[in-house]
Amino acid sequence: MADYSERRFARILGHYLALIALAVLALAPIWIMVATSFKNDVIVQSKEPLWFFFVPTLDNYAYIMTRGKFDTYLWNSVIVGTASTFLTLALGGFCAYALARAEFRGRRFIANSTLLIRMVPPAVLAVPAFALVVVFNIDNDLAVLIFFYTALNLPFAIWLLFGFYKQIPVELEEAAIIDGATPLQVFFRIMLPLMKSGYAVAGIFTFRIAWNEFILALLLTGRNTRTLPVGAAGFITDTGVEWGRIMAMGTLIVIPPLLFTFFAARQIIAGMVAGAVKG
Amino acid sequence: MRGVALEKVIKRFGPTVVIPEMSLSIEESEFVVIVGPSGCGKSTTLRMIAGLEDVSKGKIRIGGKDVTWLPPKQRDIAMVFQSYALYPHMDVAGNMSFALRLAGKPKAEIEERVRRAAEMLELTDYLARKPKDLSGGQRQRVAMGRSIVRDAYCFLFDEPLSNLDAKLRSSMRTELAILHKKLDRTMIYVTHDQIEAMTMADRIVIMDKGIIQQVGTPRDVYNSPRNTFVAGFIGSPSMNFLDGELRGEDAVAVKGDGFELPLAPELAKRAKKTRGKKVVAGLRPEHFAVEASRAGSSESTYAKIRLDVSVAEYIGSSQFLAAKIGDAHVTAAVEAGPASEPMSSGNYLFDTSRVYLFDRESGNAI
Ligand SMILES: Nc1ncnc2c1ncn2[C@@H]1O[C@H](COP(=O)(O)OP(=O)(O)OP(=O)(O)O)[C@@H](O)[C@H]1O
Ligand SMILES: [Mg+2]
Repeated sequence: MADYSERRFARILGHYLALIALAVLALAPIWIMVATSFKNDVIVQSKEPLWFFFVPTLDNYAYIMTRGKFDTYLWNSVIVGTASTFLTLALGGFCAYALARAEFRGRRFIANSTLLIRMVPPAVLAVPAFALVVVFNIDNDLAVLIFFYTALNLPFAIWLLFGFYKQIPVELEEAAIIDGATPLQVFFRIMLPLMKSGYAVAGIFTFRIAWNEFILALLLTGRNTRTLPVGAAGFITDTGVEWGRIMAMGTLIVIPPLLFTFFAARQIIAGMVAGAVKG
Repeated sequence: MRGVALEKVIKRFGPTVVIPEMSLSIEESEFVVIVGPSGCGKSTTLRMIAGLEDVSKGKIRIGGKDVTWLPPKQRDIAMVFQSYALYPHMDVAGNMSFALRLAGKPKAEIEERVRRAAEMLELTDYLARKPKDLSGGQRQRVAMGRSIVRDAYCFLFDEPLSNLDAKLRSSMRTELAILHKKLDRTMIYVTHDQIEAMTMADRIVIMDKGIIQQVGTPRDVYNSPRNTFVAGFIGSPSMNFLDGELRGEDAVAVKGDGFELPLAPELAKRAKKTRGKKVVAGLRPEHFAVEASRAGSSESTYAKIRLDVSVAEYIGSSQFLAAKIGDAHVTAAVEAGPASEPMSSGNYLFDTSRVYLFDRESGNAI
């Protein structure tokens, strides 16, 4: 008996040690970022890194808020992030709905190939995208970035939402049709509420990618259309890397997606269609 | 003509023909029950009437109007789905009132109708619950409630009572019959339970493999089944079929392995006209009798028949005998009799006025 509980204890201990190790790995960079953002240049540059005990300063934040164009970048990022997420979910949602429901030639192929397109890394697209933008002389416009992010995110969003739509029994739509609902009413009053989880998951992925994307943003934006990641990179200058300021910016960049994820995750409910149909 | 009509309707799913060709006309405010074994196309038929499934060919009329290519919304129908299809994000009241809300009915009226339907379906205590917190039977009743709150020209029910326990089922049968009287609407009801069909229907439609085998009142289909399929499907326990041959020039009797039964004059006359001598005799279990109970009456149409009884199942009012006539297995339902008298092999009686004959090749009634 004692033997058994000892072994059990050892196993649980092992479990937790592994979890702690993983947590440290995941959280350490974030801690370094946040901590560095509160350090002045002298501490940042010091030979022995100070992990926890230093006199914090808000100098870096004050600097990026007042001297740079932080507010413009933030605004750009918010616009690009939300607009492209909204567009992706709206377009991808309808597309996934059609793929899941309508019978047409090539449906399977399209449904499956969406994920393949997703495998192309965005960096590969950067140069052609830049060329397009230059040819059509449309750089320096947020709409361009919104457009590219939407295009970039659509395949994955479609694939993901397709899976969610597939889970909703067709009979629910039929019942609504019999109850006298128009196609739009079926969509907005039956499907959409049941798709909350799906759109939330897709939204989290889409927004995060749009928000953090760097290479396309670097190439396609100008002075006034930079997004936050591009803005942060601006602190890498000829005279050196301004670590404190980059980290302050990084810390601020992290906050909106966190808030977004918290909000979106609350919409994710397991077993949304439970009880709808027999068996 | 008012009512609901299917005119030469054909339904194919790709290469598979589910309904080869069906014509059926249902009177206004008639209660028609469609029965048939699983997969025979009952749901498909109902779905075509509802407009959820296109016909491959043919016409459908509802209320005299050709609705073949009209969407469900314009057909003035309500439907209960075999799989319930409840809206999982709405509570019971929300589910039941959805159609009324879409139709823009006044709030007070919606509440009143939902309340009445809930009362009838014993759902009053569950109005605020979500479908996932209900039992199978309760879900089924919500599905029912969702349609009966409406005021449609035609109500379609796809096995709406299949998940209820026996007691609730029989009380729901009664409620439905009352509802039908009260609403006076056309109702088309699909089931594979022939008792439901017999008890509720004005007329029964018996289907097999997408083909209508017979349409008639419950009495019609029970008393004069058109073929062996209908005969075997209607009646419980089902009819026994025994291979036999007609005896004599005038077909006075049917004889087979272990039995010989004289035929009623009417039947003999019909049997004489058929060319072949090879027939199937159909004997309903309930037309067997214990010898003692019929003895002495001189006008008796009963004839002796030997049963080799293997098991007797006592069910209260009567008992079912699993027995053999010759080598064929049969079921007989006879009076229970005193417990001291165990049912055993020996001579029993059969009501010869109730013998059915079928052509052995075609299965059609003679
Ligand atoms: N969408 C479809 N595609 C292909 N075949 C189908 C389709 N829907 C139904 N069928 C076939 O049509 C036949 C009739 O189906 P249907 O659902 O109408 O049977 P049913 O009489 O309602 O049976 P049950 O009592 O089991 O509900 C079945 O053989 C079924 O496989
Ligand atoms: Mg069915």
